[in-house]
Amino acid sequence: MKAAIAVNELFKQYGSKTALDGITFDVSAGGCFGLLGPNGAGKSTTMKILSGLLEPDRGSVAIFGKAAGKERDSIKELIGYVPQSITLYEKLSARDNLRFFGDMYKVPKRELTSRIGEVLEQVGLADRAKDAVSTFSGGMKRRVNIAAALLHRPKLIIMDEPTVGIDPQSRNHIFEMIRSLKQGGVTVLYSTHYMEEVEALCEDLAIVDHGRVIASGSLDDVLEKHGTQAVYLELQDGSRPPIPNGFGAPVPKGRGWTVETSSPLDALASWAQACRSASLGVKQLEIVRPSLEAVFLSLTGTTLRDN
Amino acid sequence: MVWKIAKNEWKLLLKEKGTFFWLLGMPILFIVLFGSVLGSVGKTDVTVPYVDNDRSEASKAFLATVEEKSGYVLEEKQPADMEEQLDKIRDGKGTGLLVVPQGFGQSLNGAGGATSAVELYREATNESVVAPLRAVLENLANGYRETKIASALAAAGLSDKERENALSAAFSIDDRLENGTGYNVITQIVPGYTVMFVFFVIISMLKRFLGDKESGMTARLRSTRMSPLSYLLGMWLAFLVVALVQCCALLAFGHFAYGLQLGDPLAVAALVVLLCACGTGIGLAVCMIAKSENQGMAFTQLLTMGGAVLGGLWFPIDLMPEAVQTISRFTPQYWAQKGFQDIMLRGAHASGIGYSLLVLALVASAGLIIALLRYRRFIRTALG
Repeated sequence: MKAAIAVNELFKQYGSKTALDGITFDVSAGGCFGLLGPNGAGKSTTMKILSGLLEPDRGSVAIFGKAAGKERDSIKELIGYVPQSITLYEKLSARDNLRFFGDMYKVPKRELTSRIGEVLEQVGLADRAKDAVSTFSGGMKRRVNIAAALLHRPKLIIMDEPTVGIDPQSRNHIFEMIRSLKQGGVTVLYSTHYMEEVEALCEDLAIVDHGRVIASGSLDDVLEKHGTQAVYLELQDGSRPPIPNGFGAPVPKGRGWTVETSSPLDALASWAQACRSASLGVKQLEIVRPSLEAVFLSLTGTTLRDN
Repeated sequence: MVWKIAKNEWKLLLKEKGTFFWLLGMPILFIVLFGSVLGSVGKTDVTVPYVDNDRSEASKAFLATVEEKSGYVLEEKQPADMEEQLDKIRDGKGTGLLVVPQGFGQSLNGAGGATSAVELYREATNESVVAPLRAVLENLANGYRETKIASALAAAGLSDKERENALSAAFSIDDRLENGTGYNVITQIVPGYTVMFVFFVIISMLKRFLGDKESGMTARLRSTRMSPLSYLLGMWLAFLVVALVQCCALLAFGHFAYGLQLGDPLAVAALVVLLCACGTGIGLAVCMIAKSENQGMAFTQLLTMGGAVLGGLWFPIDLMPEAVQTISRFTPQYWAQKGFQDIMLRGAHASGIGYSLLVLALVASAGLIIALLRYRRFIRTALG
């Protein structure tokens, strides 16, 4: 299947600062692709280049087989870009904002009114169409922000951290919308620094740091290749557990302790035995899946979340 | 696309509470305020106290004549109050004091051969308030002198005709008004403030362009099918129409509220269109050049206020020093004001204000060209 997005060796510099340092990845058509990385990793710059806002210094981008530099106008028909900041006219109603963006995307006049209704239904704001955006909560504004990119039925939606600072209800709405778009065959490129969002929505991902892709593939592949399984133990009295025989020292995690190992079953059995021997009450003992946070930490030595 | 962008901008302007005040309310307020204030100059009653130490029929007649001819209101004070009045003048709280000396009436009749000195006390820094009174006193003194001379000539045996010839002036002044309409403060204020407030539209343009840039709207619109040039032209069209509406409203106000005669409508229309194109053209250039709203505001204040003074919008340019009059010719405001006054006062048609139209068109074009040249950089900074 032809890739929806093909990014090859993108470089971008702002003065002396290197924003992109040879970033390369492919996104298959349909489905949701996650671009995961901390602030300043190069996610937004990549998104802007894909959306046609910026030109790379070097490298190439193809959207559905069309070269981004040469066929910019025809690519814009295919893309809906949702920026990180909420870009709406607060004094206008949701409907008026969408009408304006519909005009900018050249949605035919005869179609636009009904399309606005459909999109507002999709984001769960059909009953607030006439209200000024200034009266909306942050989450509702983000939903209208997304709605504006859907009017022209794009084949590719590029979403730059669309859930920053929003309430859980709005986040759920957005997640449902993305799932619905995927079912409709729309490709979604989703950037975030929240690993749980990638885990919830994306089949494939790329982890980005300092302008480079440091890991990519399906979620399971990335976790298997770069993550280490672990065993988690929490004692009833909350004390430090003994070291399981033949394994490394446990490290604190949450209310309990973990031991990383490539043989989790053996470690679990050894640890259970050690606790039994010491007559310790066990509250929780389980094999835990590696997290993207842990993968990122092991690859870069830093955490995903900035302070 | 251009039309749709302009239409969206009008929707936004109508939603903003301050729009009607800044674009219409404030200019009308200025016109009414300054029209009332400046229109009353010369008609306002300024009170000047006086002390009549003579208290004769002649001094009373003299004081009545002074009041009638000067337009001042003379307020009698007692001789005992003289020192108090002088203290007020010294403290800057009084305008002046007129003192008629004892023996004034007799000196008018020529008795004793002495000349009475009417004293006019005034504050040294308040020349402009009392100067007209002084001029009236001097005229009256000349008048009385002529009467004395006429009496002396009659006593010398000259006939009426001979006395008239002797006393007639060496030349007369024949005041001929060439303009179709006389100048009054409204013909200065209404077009003056109309021109000034067109340039205030630049403030609204700055808020929109830089606001869109800061919020990320400009960048987002670049990801749509909107062409960059459409954005620039659409916004220009929006504010051009706003300026046109503003001009029409202010001129209509001047016409209906103050009876201002607008002159040839085609000439006025051409002037208004090019004035608005000039103001918004400069506005576009400022928006493309200014790195921040504060910077743009500072430049706009300089342009609007400085241009208003230099352009002769607040008071006739002829009152300025020659060097300033020369500089004023480099301001679009001067040419706009001149165009309006040529039409309203001198009955000019479009052909008669060709020079004004040309200058405004050139400045408008220069503004647009600068905006186009700087637009790419503006977009680049908006994209981050």
